[in-house]
Amino acid sequence: MEFDFSRNYFELFGLDVDFSIDIDELEGSYQRLQSQFHPDRFVSSDDQDRRIAIQATTFINEAHDILREEQARARYLLQLQGVPFDVEQDTTQDMDFLMAQMKLREQIDEVDQQNDPLDRLDELALLARQQKKELIEQYQQQFAVQEWDSAKDTVLKMQFFARLQQQINNKQEALENELL
Amino acid sequence: MALLQISEPGMSTAPHEHRLAVGIDLGTTNSLVASVRNGVAEVLVDEFGQALLPSVVNYAQDEAPLVGANALAKTLNDPLNTIASVKRILGRSSEELRTLNEYLPFQLVSDSESVPRINTALGPRTAIEISADILQALKLRAEQTLGGSLTGVVITVPAYFDDAQRQATKDAAKLADLNVFRLLNEPTAAAIAYGLDQAAEGIIAVYDLGGGTFDISILRLRKGVFEVLAIGGDSALGGDDFDHAIAQWLLRQGDLQINENHHFMRQVLSQARAAKEKLTSNTATTIALKLPNDYELELSLSRDQFEELIAEYVKKTIITCRRALRDAAIDKQQITEVVMVGGSTRVPLVRQQVEKFFGRKAHTEIDPDEVVAIGAAIQADILAGNKTTDELLLLDVTPLSLGIETMGGLVEKIIDRNSTIPISRAQEFTTYKDGQTAMRIHVLQGERELVADCRSLATFDLTEIPALVAGAAKIRVTFQVDADGLLSVTAQEVNSGASASIEVKPSYGLTDAEITVMLKESQDYAQQDMQVRSLREQQVEADRVVEALNAALSKDGEQLLNEQELVVITDARDQLIAVRENATNPDDIHAAIKRLENVSEIYVARRMDSSVRSMMQGHKVEEFQK
Repeated sequence: MEFDFSRNYFELFGLDVDFSIDIDELEGSYQRLQSQFHPDRFVSSDDQDRRIAIQATTFINEAHDILREEQARARYLLQLQGVPFDVEQDTTQDMDFLMAQMKLREQIDEVDQQNDPLDRLDELALLARQQKKELIEQYQQQFAVQEWDSAKDTVLKMQFFARLQQQINNKQEALENELL
Repeated sequence: MALLQISEPGMSTAPHEHRLAVGIDLGTTNSLVASVRNGVAEVLVDEFGQALLPSVVNYAQDEAPLVGANALAKTLNDPLNTIASVKRILGRSSEELRTLNEYLPFQLVSDSESVPRINTALGPRTAIEISADILQALKLRAEQTLGGSLTGVVITVPAYFDDAQRQATKDAAKLADLNVFRLLNEPTAAAIAYGLDQAAEGIIAVYDLGGGTFDISILRLRKGVFEVLAIGGDSALGGDDFDHAIAQWLLRQGDLQINENHHFMRQVLSQARAAKEKLTSNTATTIALKLPNDYELELSLSRDQFEELIAEYVKKTIITCRRALRDAAIDKQQITEVVMVGGSTRVPLVRQQVEKFFGRKAHTEIDPDEVVAIGAAIQADILAGNKTTDELLLLDVTPLSLGIETMGGLVEKIIDRNSTIPISRAQEFTTYKDGQTAMRIHVLQGERELVADCRSLATFDLTEIPALVAGAAKIRVTFQVDADGLLSVTAQEVNSGASASIEVKPSYGLTDAEITVMLKESQDYAQQDMQVRSLREQQVEADRVVEALNAALSKDGEQLLNEQELVVITDARDQLIAVRENATNPDDIHAAIKRLENVSEIYVARRMDSSVRSMMQGHKVEEFQK
């Protein structure tokens, strides 16, 4: 068995190297690749093939995780352009943005004090989704004109929304448990 | 490589031969074995035509263990040597069982060992050995029915089984001399059984309530590919809890206490179970309880009363369903099929609540007791290579998040729950003091933030890190989860290449050495080895504790402690240092560590307070960061 680990994630799934991708196409070729390389297909093969199967599907799963999630995909595209990311150090310096984030978080924390906390939470989730959508549009424009630094800053901002969504989910879960 | 150690002798030859492969449902209450014969998956029955093998083992001196109905028959007369529901303690530590604080129908050996052992006429037995006896009986049945030895098996486990419980299941199979193709999640097996029959496409919810475990799985079936989107559950919730709820009620009615009279308790439990089963088709039932003083107590239990007794448990399962849907990012309306698995789904309240929650009728066409084994058999047949076409593929996920301990007793997640497997993730960590040459890595499983609330899977030490200033050495920790959902961890210093790796075994599970011992029935050497190893482990632990304490003391010992407190702590520390140098028994070092930890408690608490205070002074940008 052979598997080419040198391809980038877009090439792996036969997609153009671009932010906008056809999710159905991604899912389709993900399943085709899995059907071909999954360890279940090599239960009776020799050690080497079984090892390659695990490595190949690990690679395929990683690629799939990155491409199907917008922020991860945006970051990966920049990395392909040679833009470095340091998870520990990098952060946006946009103070207005940070303040707005802090406010959103406080609002989520305080939904308990509202009359319809779950409805309020839905509103906040919607607001967060809209803001993220705007960031994505911004990113696509910046990427198109190769403004790598500002595109990177936009990606760093997107990161905040993943955590925001997590916070909303946790809150929702807690509220539902109380109601049940 | 740890993942590839299963050897399958003779598997690469004779490509056209039909390989005998079976699916095994190793259940809490009953176990089954099934196989694909002439293209049809069916459960294999015993000489009396019974498919269900009660998961009960009876031990008598100088005799081979008795498994199944014959063992079950001994329940009343020989309760202490008749072991049931052993799956509930499989892969669990003695410590955990104490905190579970439930009535277990057998006597645990009371010693300090971390693997619980049950007292039997054949001596102490672990849950792994008892499970192996059950597997052995199923293996025998399969080989007699199919007329040959088995190439391999697929064994099902609750989707929510953690790493320790999966590993314990594999160890039991190893003891029973079975070649495990794959551990398969029970709900996934059920979906396979239904999915292939009906060639369905869509999103399937599998609600599996067995004797001792509950699972909910959300799966997507598309063009022959099963993709698990999310799983959730509770590995200590099931029909047994319904029995216990009725039993408690019976005791309350009779004004009786849970007592040491095992014979009587067994009677109460089996009466409770019988009542539960009757209430599936009847709206009321009577229970005649023979009291220890020979009086007979007759009680009537209505279905309404019963439903009240179990409502809490059923509600818990529904909350878990809700969570799984959220993890899968699926709305209730998108679910196209609901599949019911496990004998406990026969309880009308369960079916009614599940159908109400999902807003649709649930599938119950295949016998809920058999559906898992049938799905496992289909998968075993495919993995054995008997199918010429690759019509089915399973993409499974990790049930729980995996991470490592970081500063302050917090868990940093490396692999999130519900990630498609196999998966590998790496994270870089750094040294926190100048000249540090070793690092301890503590691997945990669970969703909570604090180490104390998660399950400890293993700890290991990375040594030979080049001595550099704090933060300069980079340690890359890589988690790899294989297709069985089992984890192996490697750690490497990026610049020097110093590395350490382990196959994760639960901290309190059986080690490979222990299994070897059981296989060989000779204990002497291994015990010596273990003594040496655990002495070494305790010494490392002692060094770590002393070093951490010294570092802390030099930083803020004088600010946070008065003179007397300081003396108490340093005395305990010096004692530990002395014991560590001289002791030959690891327990002595362990005790000295515990003493030091105890007297340092107040110091730890104050340090935490003061660090929380300093963290809360003013908002910082970093707060928003990871």
